[in-house]
Amino acid sequence: MNKHILYILTCVFFCLFTLCSCKHGEGEYHNITDKIEAESKNYHGTSISSESLLEGIHTIEITEGKHTFLIPERKSKITSYACTECHSKPLSDMQNTEEAKKAHWDIKLTHADLNTMNCITCHNGADMNNLQSLTGSSIDFNRSYKLCSQCHSRQFEDWKGGAHGKKVAGWAPPRASMTCVNCHNPHKPGFETRWPSSYNTQKIKERE
Amino acid sequence: MSDNKKWFSLDLSSPKKQSTGSCGCGKTSGGCGSHTNDQISDEDFDAAVDAAIGEERKKDGFDQVFDVKMDRRTAFRQLTASLMIGAGAVSTSCSVTTGENTKEKAQIDWEEQFKGNYKLMTDEERNATVERLVRSYQLRKKKNINMSSQNAEKDVLFGYAFNISKCQGYMDCVSACVEENNQDRNSQMQYIRIHEMKDGKGLKFDEADDNYYHEVPAEGHFYMGTQCFHCDNPPCVDVCPVQATWREDDGLVVIDYDWCVGCRYCMAACPYDGRRFNWSTPKVPENEINKNQHYLGNRMRKKGVMEKCTFCVQRSRAGKNPACVDACPTGARIFGNLLDPKSTIRWVLENKKVFRLKEDLGTEPKFWYFMD
Repeated sequence: MNKHILYILTCVFFCLFTLCSCKHGEGEYHNITDKIEAESKNYHGTSISSESLLEGIHTIEITEGKHTFLIPERKSKITSYACTECHSKPLSDMQNTEEAKKAHWDIKLTHADLNTMNCITCHNGADMNNLQSLTGSSIDFNRSYKLCSQCHSRQFEDWKGGAHGKKVAGWAPPRASMTCVNCHNPHKPGFETRWPSSYNTQKIKERE
Repeated sequence: MSDNKKWFSLDLSSPKKQSTGSCGCGKTSGGCGSHTNDQISDEDFDAAVDAAIGEERKKDGFDQVFDVKMDRRTAFRQLTASLMIGAGAVSTSCSVTTGENTKEKAQIDWEEQFKGNYKLMTDEERNATVERLVRSYQLRKKKNINMSSQNAEKDVLFGYAFNISKCQGYMDCVSACVEENNQDRNSQMQYIRIHEMKDGKGLKFDEADDNYYHEVPAEGHFYMGTQCFHCDNPPCVDVCPVQATWREDDGLVVIDYDWCVGCRYCMAACPYDGRRFNWSTPKVPENEINKNQHYLGNRMRKKGVMEKCTFCVQRSRAGKNPACVDACPTGARIFGNLLDPKSTIRWVLENKKVFRLKEDLGTEPKFWYFMD
């Protein structure tokens, strides 16, 4: 009889122990991944939106693969677009003439090496208003990312997903991401070294 | 104190009090000239004392002080209440020299002194304390600020990702954070630290330099930022003896600066050095103060309280990115809603090789690192 009670008691304690030992501080979920998965199952959006933050910013919607999002419109930001307003004659006619206006003289291509790239890798002398792909098809200035993605395919994947690049305004939908040329100068895409914008002199003193 | 308020009220300038008060002249500010001393009427004084010590006043002397059952909080409250009545109320409520502003200030200070824990407040109470703080700033500094008490949104859980390969160590995030969050300029408090680490040595925080000043990126080095990780199982919250810090529903770990007693247990409990302490009264030049504030975020702190990164609660709950995310020129910082399956932060977590610091502690930080 005594043995029986002891057996039952052991069982009860064991059950209680297992129940208690699984308890974590974060509540009903074992870890954050479980929590995210469970709580986002019935996600229907929130009332927070980026729309008001995007007001006054001209954007265009693009769809690449599974991703659809906004990018800033580009052509209206280019000072002397349309290019054909000056480029009315073929390039050879405009070069080496004394009365011709000098333009783009300060552009030095620091992008890959000259074996890989020169002006006509991206620009088409016969169609100055558009860019051109490696195979010669036309690319709109507003969708210049298509040009970059020809070589930088890994960055392109990350950019589409949102791991590369910056958002235009807030984190909330609708998603508006900056496009390649909003951060990188296409003629000199690398970031330069510079001094940090902050230096904590107090920390030096404290650590002396 | 028959109503359900969580703090004592003393309506120094309410219309009711003014009409039935000791002063019969009807003036609302200054003195009417008919008073010979600076005392409130017996009736008002009794009511105020009743409010403060109630029952105990029937007892006398020694008994009144020692023969009472009460907890420390009540004891402190009642003691302070009595003192305030003696020193503050009498001199301000019917003085001939103090103006309307002083009375209002005293009224605000009184209400602020005895308000409850922000976490336990109803929305009305939260709005009320925010209104008082705004008014108090207006009275003292003659400047207007905009303070919010916006609560956590449903279906939002904030998460953050940091790209180690992208960060170049420019520290634009650090200066943007200081400006956005009104951090003390004297002690140069900074929430964010950027650690300069040697390539090929792994993540060695003890060997890293978090206060470099040379041209960056330095050759043979990479950069890694740390700040409050807003753990889902935050150890700092568990150790707080007064529950002045807690995790909000949207995942932000916040502090009620008015409830914090400055014991710094949380600072010791945080395994990531995410918390900062105000050893002196924070000083920010008036023209540099960010006037877009949140009660739980960047409102002005005082001496002896903890503070830390709040993922810029004043910005993030309005749909904006935290200041560090917006300031980063390299796009190394990604912020978003973890519960939105279409958000970019979710894509990063699902498609990049992410890791967190000290994952084995079970703190569940909502701050992931990844590489290109």
